[in-house]
Amino acid sequence: MSVFTGVRSTGPVSWLTTTDHKRIGIMYCVTAFAFFLIGGALAGLIRTELARPDLQFMEPNTYNGVFTLHGTIMIFLFVAPFGAGLMNYLVPLQIGAPDMAFPRLNATSYWFFAFGGVLVLFSGFASQGGGASMGWYAYPPLSGPRWSPGIGVDLWIFGVGFAAISTMLTGINVLTTAFLMRAPGMTMWRLPIFTWNAIVTSLLGVVAFPPLLVAASLLLFERRLDGLVFDPLGGGDPVIYQHLFWFLGHPEVYIMALPFFGVVTEIIPVFSRKPLFGYVGFVLATMTIGAYSVGVWAHHMYTTGAVNNPFFSAMSFVIAVPTGIKFFNWIGTMWGGRIRWSHPAMLFSVGFLLNFLVGGVTGVIVASAPLDYHFNDSYFLVSHFHYTLMGGSVFAIFAAIYFWFPKMTGRLMRERLGRWAFAFLFTGFNLTFWPQFVLGMRGMPRRVPDYPSDIDLEIPNLVSSFGVVIMSIGVLIFLWDWWTARRSGTPAGPDPWDGRSLEWSTSSPPPEHNFTELPRIRSVSPTLDTKHPELVPP
Amino acid sequence: MRRWLLAVAPAMLALASCSDGTTFGFPDAATEQGRRIVDVWGVFMIAAIVVAGIVYAGILWSLLRYRRRRTDPEGYGHQFHANVPIEIAYTAVPILIIIGLFLISYDADRDIRELHPDPDVVLEATAFSWGWRFEYPELGVVVVSPPATRAEPGPEIVLPLDRITRVRLTSADVIHAFWVPSFNFKMDAIPGRTNEFELTPVEEGTYRGVCAEFCGIQHAYMTFRVTSASPAEFDGWIAEQRAVGATTG
Repeated sequence: MSVFTGVRSTGPVSWLTTTDHKRIGIMYCVTAFAFFLIGGALAGLIRTELARPDLQFMEPNTYNGVFTLHGTIMIFLFVAPFGAGLMNYLVPLQIGAPDMAFPRLNATSYWFFAFGGVLVLFSGFASQGGGASMGWYAYPPLSGPRWSPGIGVDLWIFGVGFAAISTMLTGINVLTTAFLMRAPGMTMWRLPIFTWNAIVTSLLGVVAFPPLLVAASLLLFERRLDGLVFDPLGGGDPVIYQHLFWFLGHPEVYIMALPFFGVVTEIIPVFSRKPLFGYVGFVLATMTIGAYSVGVWAHHMYTTGAVNNPFFSAMSFVIAVPTGIKFFNWIGTMWGGRIRWSHPAMLFSVGFLLNFLVGGVTGVIVASAPLDYHFNDSYFLVSHFHYTLMGGSVFAIFAAIYFWFPKMTGRLMRERLGRWAFAFLFTGFNLTFWPQFVLGMRGMPRRVPDYPSDIDLEIPNLVSSFGVVIMSIGVLIFLWDWWTARRSGTPAGPDPWDGRSLEWSTSSPPPEHNFTELPRIRSVSPTLDTKHPELVPP
Repeated sequence: MRRWLLAVAPAMLALASCSDGTTFGFPDAATEQGRRIVDVWGVFMIAAIVVAGIVYAGILWSLLRYRRRRTDPEGYGHQFHANVPIEIAYTAVPILIIIGLFLISYDADRDIRELHPDPDVVLEATAFSWGWRFEYPELGVVVVSPPATRAEPGPEIVLPLDRITRVRLTSADVIHAFWVPSFNFKMDAIPGRTNEFELTPVEEGTYRGVCAEFCGIQHAYMTFRVTSASPAEFDGWIAEQRAVGATTG
């Protein structure tokens, strides 16, 4: 028993039974990244089918299953859980705590997520009577018993439900940890920005996921217990489902964005050798985003004719302001600094800025109800949210891996390979998704396996599919780098980047309860303060 | 200097790729309502380009001007971390911009969704899996599509030019959506609900319509065609439909 001997067990059983937040964090990240590879392979199938008009190799029903699984995996099993993994790993380290507040609950969260993930995978291709092929937001009546009779949708409901419970439990855990377990001196206004963003993300997880569970449960009643909740033939209303679903759906967008705003906000100051510009404003902007994100859900429903478009449009415009503020925080941080931007972590952070801005301004465009009448459910919208989620959050995920991999493993990844991975991913991403704006404007709806060959859709589709090839090369370079660096990377030491926050004050990887001693915490950058006492503000 | 060009060239290419004339690649609408949407689009695109241009310039300038050089002294330079007037400015200016954008968008939305008390033609559109049923109740004409397939171009309907057609849209089963890309407009067809909107064609032509809300296996092929023709030709088409027996009676 390692607890008594002080010897740390490293066998597979110790990983399966661990309650150490660092191990759980790493398990989250690795599992989520595995789902990214699966979801990415599905995206490859989608783009192969769409490279040319006509059906290439998939029947429409197969195609529908593929994009349903792609969306579900990327949203519920990759981006959000990867954020949960980073929060697990980093929040206790950044606030000087020995572990999360509820270590066993934390392990429970992970296993709920992993189990839900397996169910979702099965829902796609191993279901009697047809897999889940109703799109990732599962609108009834299409997802109801008459139009999706197979058990695929039921497995999907359970899988997403487990993932939802996992997110809520993690949220409770992170909030308790951040509020109650901060080291002496670590006041709220000295919290690292990543931890602040983890707090707001966790609040949203606790607020937004219960309505999803309600929606999914009602759908299950309708499907298996003759519930007639959403079926108009039984007096139900399918629009109710949309309200419940998007009441999750839009906060979920920020659950998938805020942790990664936090990531780049940790990385940019370190590689610019400057403190974050406008810390207080940044935190207030994050809180504003959190608050408004629960009031914009019906902008997904402008074309239903069932919501007050001006109200939700106004709310959606407002939420652009705090997001815009952050860009000025990031520019102000780099301004006057000494920026080392050749490092992969910084390159991917800059890639995040460049891509996410496109996602942001197109977000303002689709927040306008009249413009959304054209763009809703078109490829313009598909491109918009991939610029925020893929070009934004996923680029920040790569940045996070390059930045914290040395902390997690004690070894460095290779910068040269990282720069190549970035070059391929950035070029491939923009080649894939820029043409999709054009496709949407020209009238290509989403979720189609086929399109006519006579309305100028062919070249953008072909370019878009080619971009996936370039991106895949980037991912392979990254995987090679990651795989080899685990064993044979150069030893990193505790603080390879001249870090600022507390996690760089302990060894890499950190010991079981994180710190043998804590530095004095006098500012938002305690590690930097011990190295450069002359920089401590008076 | 060359670095600057490298940085600016992709942005210019991107701009060039999406701008033909004033509509920045957006389809020039064939209805009055759609033209209002094009106006909004133009304003939003100019705002987007200006704002994104300023922010990109800020990012690229910082990266190039403040990159770490070998000649830099080791360690840390001037450490500033806040400037309240600047922070207030970059909060207030975006608020003003979005108020303007909201008002433009709201004003257009009212025009586009306006329902006249006395439309010239009423069209009841019912989507089903997977096809469309179009009925002109006042004229007693019905057009129903055969089941959708790749080869089937879908049913054709005619709307009179410069006249107001009121569309009453619903669905017989799952949720679909009526989208004519050349009208820049779509609306969901939801079972148990009737959504109303008006189309006033201002340009002659035949336009492709698609189902925009994912509805199952043949979603991609649930197409239809809309022709806008002069009122005389419209009357002729109605008479023709009656002659071939496409009537409600």
